[in-house]
Amino acid sequence: MVQTDALITGVEESSPFVRVTLAVPDLRPALAPGRFVLADLGGYLRTPLFPASLETPGPGDGEFDVLVPPSHPGAALQPGARVDLIGSLGRGFEVPDVTRRLLLVASIAHLPVLLPLTNQKPGLSTALLLSASTAAELYPVQMLPPALEVHVVTADGSAGHRGATLDLFPDLVRWADCACIAADPAIYPALAEIVRESRMGPAHRFAQALVAPPMVCGVGACQGCAVPVAGGTKLACTDGPVFDLLELR
Amino acid sequence: MTAIQLAPEHKTGLTLSNPVMPAAGCFGLGLEYDRLVEVEALGAVVVGPITAAPRQGAAPPRVLAVPGGVLLHTGLANPGIAAVMRRYSRTWVRCTVPVIAHVAGTSPDEAVSCCQRLSGIEAIAGIELGLPDIPISLNPIGPKSGLSDFLDDVVTIIQAARVAASQPLIVRLPMAYADALCEAAVESGANALTIIAPPRGTAWHKPSEQFITGGLHGPLVLPLALRALRRVAERVPVPLIGCGGIHSAEDGRAFLRAGAVAIQIGGAIWHDPACLACIARRLSPQVGPD
Repeated sequence: MVQTDALITGVEESSPFVRVTLAVPDLRPALAPGRFVLADLGGYLRTPLFPASLETPGPGDGEFDVLVPPSHPGAALQPGARVDLIGSLGRGFEVPDVTRRLLLVASIAHLPVLLPLTNQKPGLSTALLLSASTAAELYPVQMLPPALEVHVVTADGSAGHRGATLDLFPDLVRWADCACIAADPAIYPALAEIVRESRMGPAHRFAQALVAPPMVCGVGACQGCAVPVAGGTKLACTDGPVFDLLELR
Repeated sequence: MTAIQLAPEHKTGLTLSNPVMPAAGCFGLGLEYDRLVEVEALGAVVVGPITAAPRQGAAPPRVLAVPGGVLLHTGLANPGIAAVMRRYSRTWVRCTVPVIAHVAGTSPDEAVSCCQRLSGIEAIAGIELGLPDIPISLNPIGPKSGLSDFLDDVVTIIQAARVAASQPLIVRLPMAYADALCEAAVESGANALTIIAPPRGTAWHKPSEQFITGGLHGPLVLPLALRALRRVAERVPVPLIGCGGIHSAEDGRAFLRAGAVAIQIGGAIWHDPACLACIARRLSPQVGPD
């Protein structure tokens, strides 16, 4: 964990997001899907940024991308600017090596956090269940790896299945041997119930879910980012922000 | 080098080589920040708050950004004095600067329980006692206000902590009654006073549609804290530690000019952990005034 300067090396539209590329040689070895950095983007509270791509580093490398909505303060950054970062922080998604069928579940707003997990690996089949209100909000499917099996759900039926994540989740979760979820935490209890009904004795962290409340310090010092779990609370910044779905309350 | 003495009347004293330390509630229980903060540049570290029994703390949401800072309501979340000592004692021993433990004095029993456990622990150089703020239900005006009884209860907490603690006792006073209680705190045995605890505020949390009441941190607190410090400095002879909204060496100097011998830095650590050592270097007694 370090506090360091990142150089903004690229900012481009990647509808419905803005792609910001940061060069941070110090951070790279520790970044992983679901882990994050806290960026000083001008407010009193730092802003968590989750890597949306983690390419294999080359000589002099150390870049990663974040995808943010156009209204996000990060979208206003300009190439050449420097941003103070603290990172890498937190416990991210952990996909066991033995996984053969990986299910990713995301609402469109949270999709960038899961994008690093869409990279193909030999022997691993990955399916993405992606939800949005309407087709116009969706991330272009052609931007995703071709071997990724994509299931789209829209509330108005303008693309894919008409309905909600919960409609398709039961079948997919029975197929998967690991599930990584980044969505509105309000649907997590229902997802957890489906996992309990459809899986016999799921392994610890079989289903992992992102919960990211405002994180003030990032190191567990301020106790601000409490997340209710079975038997008490945990901190999103150090125990999470990725938790076992079944322990969340 | 000019040392800073926070407890000249105490048998062990509490000597700092630098006036800068983190504020309780901002730095964790051990050295959560040790990879981001150059601890050896500081005068001391303040760990806690610590309560007698484990506390899960407040239900989320606990954090709300407000203009000029942040409102934080943790509900004194911590694993309790026994677990804290088990998990962090070795870390405190390794610390290269004095460690001050912040005890949440919610009642005399709580203060005594924590201070007794910490008493005689060599790695703890001093105890800072946090005190309850005025309850929102208490009407502070009028002869039957209940304020007088409340302040009497607070004095009892200080007295209990003083008896139980073997180390120097620093009492951190809330802004709401720093004026009213500073002399009684000193008479009750406080070796030093921290002025002030984060003032309480309330804000509407739109996503959860509820009010959040908690401690205010950020630059908005500085003028309030500075005013409280100046008033207390006129009235008591003990060393004072200024705390509230300090984000730069210049902010810290204002507190030192107003009568503090040391300062605590709170929310600024979260925003910029590196600022702690930077401010410490600029306020080092070896550097002298700008």
